[in-house]
Amino acid sequence: MPVLQHLCQLLYDSQIGTAIRESNVTFPVIESAHVLSITLVFGTIAVLDLRLLGLVLRAIPVNKVARSVLPLTWTGFAVSLVTGFLLFWAEAAKVYWNPAFRAKLVLLALVGLNPLIFHTTIYRRVEEWGHLRVLPWRARAAAVASLMLWSGVIIAGRAIAYFT
Amino acid sequence: MKTTLAVLLALGISMTAVPAYAHHSFAAEFDATKPVKLVGKITRVEWSNPHTYFYVDVADAKGKVTNWSIEGPSPGALSRRGWKKDDLKVGDHVTVVGYRAKDGSNLADGRLVTLADGRTLYGGSPGDGGPGDNGTDQGDLSGINPGK
Repeated sequence: MPVLQHLCQLLYDSQIGTAIRESNVTFPVIESAHVLSITLVFGTIAVLDLRLLGLVLRAIPVNKVARSVLPLTWTGFAVSLVTGFLLFWAEAAKVYWNPAFRAKLVLLALVGLNPLIFHTTIYRRVEEWGHLRVLPWRARAAAVASLMLWSGVIIAGRAIAYFT
Repeated sequence: MKTTLAVLLALGISMTAVPAYAHHSFAAEFDATKPVKLVGKITRVEWSNPHTYFYVDVADAKGKVTNWSIEGPSPGALSRRGWKKDDLKVGDHVTVVGYRAKDGSNLADGRLVTLADGRTLYGGSPGDGGPGDNGTDQGDLSGINPGK
């Protein structure tokens, strides 16, 4: 058995994984918290992405919008990560095979790469362009990528149920 | 102008969101014209979220044994219908009355399950639209065709 699959089986068979999976209330609560935290992540990052596309809050410089939403985005992401890991723990051996889950992981990697590139390159000079009427194409491209990738993550996450 | 555009775009997108497989619809997965009555021994139990499954070895008239999987709602939902995890044990003799999966596989939903201790429990979900569904946890068992 491949190492990864073996690790998934260990998580699945563990006491904690089993307890979550067989629970009456715990699993639905973790799942609901996961969904709510995702709305926090996507809702707030979408505001920044829409600002980068010049569609909302045009009077406010980009760095001010970023500073006000990103803490919320990160908070939401932290909760998504914890609740997501607990759900994974409970279902690991099953979800290992799930194409929607695998797609979600790939998309999550990409959705992390996008802001990494954005923040280490074009965003470094945000003071120069953050107030302009038309923003640099790299900023707009990052915004489109962000909206598309997060949508993909959410769709893939929902699709997990249809591939069990 | 921009607001109008945004509203039209949102309406357009929402109209494409067709609930093609409203997941908790009986009709999306199971065929009400394919009733099954399965009698056999439990070989495996998965008392798991989001769906529970148990597997039954069923012998046909000629003695050929096939393994069927029976899908049910979550542990929480079943507990509200009076099921407990220990009600299904490997080796138990059970009778399952349900409906076969649309794709013809050896999968059925357990609408009526008679356990080893003689109790009969309803396994459908209120509002799932399947036989026996009357919007309550107990169901209307007269609507379930025992099949062959």
